[in-house]
Amino acid sequence: MNLDKMMDLPGALAAFTYSDKGELQSHVLREGTELTPQVLDLLARSCVANLAIASMEARGWEAVTGQTGFQPLKGFSVVGLEWSVVVNGNCGVVVRNRDIDYEASFKAVQAG
Amino acid sequence: MHIVKQLMSIPGVIAAGEYAYRGDRFSYEGALTDEFARMASILCRGNTLSVNMQSEIFDSFAENCGCRPVQGWIVRGDRITVCAVGNYFSFIENRDELLNDVMTIMRAKVGDVQDDLLVNLYAKLGGDTKEALY
Repeated sequence: MNLDKMMDLPGALAAFTYSDKGELQSHVLREGTELTPQVLDLLARSCVANLAIASMEARGWEAVTGQTGFQPLKGFSVVGLEWSVVVNGNCGVVVRNRDIDYEASFKAVQAG
Repeated sequence: MHIVKQLMSIPGVIAAGEYAYRGDRFSYEGALTDEFARMASILCRGNTLSVNMQSEIFDSFAENCGCRPVQGWIVRGDRITVCAVGNYFSFIENRDELLNDVMTIMRAKVGDVQDDLLVNLYAKLGGDTKEALY
């Protein structure tokens, strides 16, 4: 996974990888950001949980409604006040909201 | 123009709606049945409360880290993406630039979600929100 490439996204504040359990494995932080490795570790754990929930919901939604197009999931994002975190698989990127390109961010974590 | 109508005028937006309270008070436009819109509203409210709870935990680790209050969330599916900002949701196709356009409109139209999400959600009922909540 190329964290430096993810940090090239406009407004990227941090890029990170995590285990299937959500343990932070590697990270890069933009200098001057308020984010810390401790926050990234917590973020990674919540992202694993959110991806699992979203996956369950997508599966259930397709089964109940007959609509398709949700599975397999390609990512999940939480939009905070100042930044958004975009994750997929075992990597994620935190990007400042005023600069964010959501599609490029999702593509980056899918490639990661 | 109302946010739901504005979203529905964009090619590639499948459905959009607004929900409040328990998630079963809702309005919507687009390719959903009443029952599916009700389910979508409950699902969106549940996820919104969940990520808000998580942001409060982040805040206890690093105050003012920039996450809280959460403004919304996105689930990127294989061909469909679900976006939720405040108490609005939209189902959109995965077309080039559509997600960015929809998120820009939703963030601009909904405005910044304030700190107390439950008050925001209950306020849609009218009447004395504080009495209903506390």
